[in-house]
Parts: sequence; structure tokens; C-alpha cells
Amino acid sequence: MTESAGPTGPAGGHVIVVDLGYGDAGKGTVVDWLCRGGGFGAVVRFNGGAQAAHNVVTPDGRHHTFAQFGSGSFTPGVRTHLSRFMLVDPLALIAEADHLASVSVPDALDRLSVDADALLTTPYHRAANRARELARPPGQRHGSCGIGIGETARYALAHPADAPRAGDCADPRALAGKLTLLRDRLAAEAGRRSGAQGGEFLDVPPVRDVVTAFAAFAERVALVGAGFLPGLLRAGRVVFEGAQGVLLDEWRGFHPFTTWSTTTFANAETLLAEAGAAATRLGVVRCYATRHGPGPLVTEDPTLELPDPHNRANPWQGPFRVGHFDAVALRYALDVAGGVDGIALTNLDVAERHRLSICDRYLHDGRPVRRLRHDAGRDLARQERLTGMLLRCVPVLGDPDGGWPSAVARAAAAPVLLVSRGPTALDKTPVGAGLRAGRPLVAVRAAAPGPR
Amino acid sequence: MGSGLWSTDVYDAAARFRAATGTSAFAHSDSGATSTHPALDPRGVTVRESRDCAEHPRSLAIAVLFDVTGSMRDVPRGLQAKLPQLLGLLLRKGYAEDPQVMFGAIGDATCDRAPLQVGQFESDNRMDDDLSRILLEGGGGGQMTESYELAMYFMARHVAADCFERRGKRGYLFLIGDEMAYPAVKRGEARERIGDGLEADIPLADLLAELTRKWDTYYILPAGASHAGNAQVLRFWRGLLGQNVIELADLDAVAETIALAVGLGEDMISLDDGLADLADIGSEAGSAVSRALATIGSSPGTVTVSLPLDDLDGPDGNVRL
Repeated sequence: MTESAGPTGPAGGHVIVVDLGYGDAGKGTVVDWLCRGGGFGAVVRFNGGAQAAHNVVTPDGRHHTFAQFGSGSFTPGVRTHLSRFMLVDPLALIAEADHLASVSVPDALDRLSVDADALLTTPYHRAANRARELARPPGQRHGSCGIGIGETARYALAHPADAPRAGDCADPRALAGKLTLLRDRLAAEAGRRSGAQGGEFLDVPPVRDVVTAFAAFAERVALVGAGFLPGLLRAGRVVFEGAQGVLLDEWRGFHPFTTWSTTTFANAETLLAEAGAAATRLGVVRCYATRHGPGPLVTEDPTLELPDPHNRANPWQGPFRVGHFDAVALRYALDVAGGVDGIALTNLDVAERHRLSICDRYLHDGRPVRRLRHDAGRDLARQERLTGMLLRCVPVLGDPDGGWPSAVARAAAAPVLLVSRGPTALDKTPVGAGLRAGRPLVAVRAAAPGPR
Repeated sequence: MGSGLWSTDVYDAAARFRAATGTSAFAHSDSGATSTHPALDPRGVTVRESRDCAEHPRSLAIAVLFDVTGSMRDVPRGLQAKLPQLLGLLLRKGYAEDPQVMFGAIGDATCDRAPLQVGQFESDNRMDDDLSRILLEGGGGGQMTESYELAMYFMARHVAADCFERRGKRGYLFLIGDEMAYPAVKRGEARERIGDGLEADIPLADLLAELTRKWDTYYILPAGASHAGNAQVLRFWRGLLGQNVIELADLDAVAETIALAVGLGEDMISLDDGLADLADIGSEAGSAVSRALATIGSSPGTVTVSLPLDDLDGPDGNVRL
């Protein structure tokens, strides 16, 4: 296999990879490329859970959709660390590990560490999620992905001390207690919502079976304390791999079409700060807009027929929608995420083969909108008004002046450091020296300019 | 309703955690082995069985055997990586009710150490273990023939499957390779490799008649192999199997192609439905599968095996069967 891809050179800084759209921009392939270049010892997950779907294709044709393992796993020796901000699903984890073994990554579990404080997603969360969906009138179902991520986050907010965490798996008695309480509470809630008495989940496994499975997880996987990550960060370069996209952020996204997770750089920055470390902030964006399921997508253009092998409509997330490059949404994402050091621009091959436009402003009731105001608070009513406004906006489309990389760099007020023209690491080209290892890029951080 | 991309079955999770020992999908080959893994050795095997059980009351035998000789280049390794998806594809989309899948490998009995490797029929991912045990020998000769006939002989005489024994329904056999079969099963090879005492060599045409009574048989010629697209090879197999010869332009699509061929044969779907299913599950294989199955899918439910054909004594020097 040719390994010409990836940054090379002496050890440099850590990198945070975050999607600046609605997800699906290609974070996985960017993380894979970074790791293939060598120099990175680990990938750290810092948000979301097993609902992530980061597709990586190797130059020799192997394909894996990364959900909990880091997308650097095809590179031998690269570890995965699931931080305390991750929602860990042990049952999905072993299925994913088995698939990785079938594509010649036999030791993924050996390269995994899990923060003992990370929340666990269980079959009871899934059952509660199903019950909640079924309780909604058919037309108003959210089409949630059904993994139980939302229920996991919700329960932990309501009962922080009782929520099962990865570390509990090493103590079957304590785990059994927490699981029983969890099951009974969620079942009772579901029963109240549906008006039934004495709610009880059907079709869930007994607690003892879940305990058995989770105990096997604890025996097989390294459960670590808070001191582990600082050590990992000292030992070598680390990629922080974000899940989903900034525009889906629980507080900054377009409510209610959001996720139960902080999708900005914030969690990664918290972990780095605890270790006294810093990282380059890399934002990933496609040459066109995409979105799974409902919610604002101002530049949507159903007449675009773009190839997208891994992101077709799926039963869990609804239709896969596409539209033109949305510079207004990008500027909003940069504003709420606090800016980036550079951009990884993906799917350039598609832009080079199809006639795609760039939207630099919207029209809202005939008035131009170049920038969406953002608010640092946690005001979901405000976010919902923003959503309502976006749903009435129409895009003003133009050509990307000077080609896609420079047009996107101008829109983002940040340099494009990497372009991608295909699914494998060999399709990635670094631009300039920005992503060459050894350059701490923090100095070039571009705060997005313009009115606030 | 699904529950995410990776299955979340609590009942086998503990066993799978304990079983995840860190061995590669190519474990047997990568361990430096030079002979057939004992679990796959056909010698002395009376029958490989595909049986109904309470859980799988209408078992359907599906066998996939691929050429592992040198002419196949990296294709066998790609197959070892891709084929574990097959069972999931069949089940998720309901292309087959109770599929039981067997994997095996084909070499050259005239010169290889592992000319025939056969796993067991399994209804769960234990079949992947067999896949990882297949020795990628990379041998073979330079004459564009390998011992496919020995594999076909084994499938015709050494498989007992409830689908054809109890329900008179053929199983599915997929041969993946890029060369031709020898013109007859040789007594000596059957004795040495399988332990059978034959009265005489069995001509390929006779064997084929026997084989296709039990197996709906397909030949897949994948891209990436030395003789991909080779007219002589294609003519040879079309002569034997008619339209059941599939040229596969994209090796990544091998599991999807097999799954769809079964779905079409089972009359569970039309080709269009099958391609839409592929799109639904996010498979990128649609166009490759569409091309590969164009002929078969154009007449769903009429998958037939035409034999024997008479066009085999052509100028390319093939022996008339």
C-alpha cells in the first residue's frame, strides 16, 4: 500500500477536528489521513456516542463506519480514548470491534481506553427512546436514531448520581442496582406518558444479562481515571475527533432540530485545558451543504444530483438532503464555535464535476442577511425563533470566485489547510505547510471578523 | 426500527468481548501457515451439513468458494475482508429466510498444498472464523485452469442440505475466480484430496448435471484478478452456466452482488428493489451490482442453468465436454 498521505515530520501539536455543518462533512476521513501520516498516538472522542457514523475507506478498499472507535484505527498502533464526555455503548462497541477485526483491524479493543466517568447507554435507554417515539402522534415523530443517546443524556441530567457510568461495569453489584433503578424509572415515565398504569418495558433484557455483558466489557477494556488523558497528551500527539456538526449543537443549533450533545470545540478545549495543553482547531466543511432529516437547509436544491456513497437516506435519520455551499451558515458555525485555525475542505471532486454555487447571503422578506446573530446564553426559545427565520430565508447564489479553496477561505476568514477529492487518505492534499507536523498552529487562529 | 449501525444484542456481547482476542481476519495465512487448516480440510469429510433447526426452520444453503491462486492477486484478501458482510445483508433485507452460509477456497490440485478448503454451513458469524482460516496459497499453474471441478465435485457429493433433501429446493453456489476448470474430476485427486474411491474420472459435463440438480450455480469473475474480462474464461463458464456468469467490476460489491443474486433467485425482490435496498443501507455498490446482475435481474424468477452447451470446442483450444 502506498502511504504517501498524511502530514509528516517531527512531532507537533494536537489537533481538534470538528464538523462546521450538520455532520457528514468527512471528519472520519480527515482523522484517518492525519493518523496515517504518523506522529499521532491516539484519537480522543469528546462528544456524542455510538450514533456517530464516520466512514473511512482505505486505499486497498476496506471500509468501516466508525461509531465509537476513533477514525484513526486503520493506522496500526493508534489508540482510541473515550473521554468522560462520550456516551459509551458497550453492546454496539463489541459489534463494531468485530467488524473492525473483519477488515484487518484485529486489536481495536486492545487499543481502547474508556474514562470511568463516561455515561453508559443501555438497552433501557433504547427502550425509553422507542416508547417516547411511539407516544408521539405519527406525524410528529422525530425519527431519532433510536440508539438512546438522548435518553442517556436526559437521565444523567435528572439523576447525575444514579446514572450508570463505564466505571460501574467493574462493580457488578453497584451496576445492577443502578440499572434496576434506571429501568424502573424510565419504564414508569414511559407508562405515565402513555397513560398506562405501572409502566413496564416489554422486550428488554433482564438486568442480570446486561450486567454480564457490561462486566465482560469492563474485563476486556481499559477503564481509566481522570489522570489518564493528561498523560496521553504528554506522551504524543492526539487528534480530538468531534461527532456530528456545529450546526446541530444542543444550544447553538437551530432548535429543535439539534442533538443532545455539545458539538463545538468546547469539550475538547476543556479536556486540553485540564492537561495544560492546546491544539490546532481544524474545521471540516464540504463544498456543498448536506443534512440528514428535517430542519433548516437554506441552500437546499433537490435538483442537485450528487454522488454520496455513504450518506444516502437511512431509516434512522430520514432523507439525505443536499444544497449549495452556505457561507452564511458557515460564518454562524465559526462564530458559535469560536473560530478555527484552518479548514479542511472535502468533496472537492464533486464540486469540480458538478455546477455548484456558493451562497454568500440570504434574503429574508426581501432583505439581505449575511450573518446570523448568535447568543452565548442557553436560550432555546431564541434559537427556535432563529430556526423560524431561517425557514423563511431564500438563498442568493453565485459562483465561487477564484475557485473553491479560495472562495471558502474567504468565506471562513481562515486558511484552507487540506483539500479532499475522494474517500481515501490518498485523495487528500495538504495546502501550504499548515498541517505539516511540527507547526503549532495556535498562533494563526483566525477569529471570524465582522459585526456581532 | 433499527438501533444504530452496529447491532446491540446483549446475549452474545459477553461472549464476543471474551472472544475478541486480537487475531486478524487473515489469521491463518498471516501466521505463516503453509497447509490447509484442519477445520477446512475436505479429506475424510463425509458430508458438510446445512440443516433445519427450531431457530431456522427453512434453512437455505449458500456456499461461496473462491480461487486463492496467484492469478487472483490481492482479490482473495479483499474477499476475506468483504464476505463477512454477506449474512447481515441477506438477513437485514429479508433476501433469504434462513440462510446458512459456507465459505471455501479453490486451488490447483495438480500442484498446490491446499487445492480445496471447505468450511461449515453456519447461520451466524461463526462462518467468519472459517473465512479467517482460509489459506491464501497463491499457487496455481500458468495454464489458466484451476481445480474448480474438484470443488464442484465436493459440493455435488459431500453436502447434505435440508433445502434440497427435505424441500427439493436448490441451494446457491458461488464460485469466484478468474480461470477455467479442468475437463474432468480425476480419480487420483478425489482419492488424495477427499479420500473418495472413484471408478473412473468424471467428465465435467456429467458432474455439472449432478451439481446443478442441487445447486443454483454462479460464477463470478472479479475485477482486479489477472484474467478479469478474459473472453476465453467467460466463454468457458457461460458455456457451463449460461447467464449465471457475473462479471464484477468492483470487488467491494461482492457481498452485495451475492446477496442480490440470492434475493432475485428467491424471488424476494426485483433488481430495482434490490438496488434501492442497497441505497437505503448506504451501500456504494449499487452501480457495480447493477451492471453485474443486469442479465440475471432482467428476468427475475427465471434463473436457469443451461447445459450442456456445445460451443466449447472453439479455436481457443478448449476441450469439448
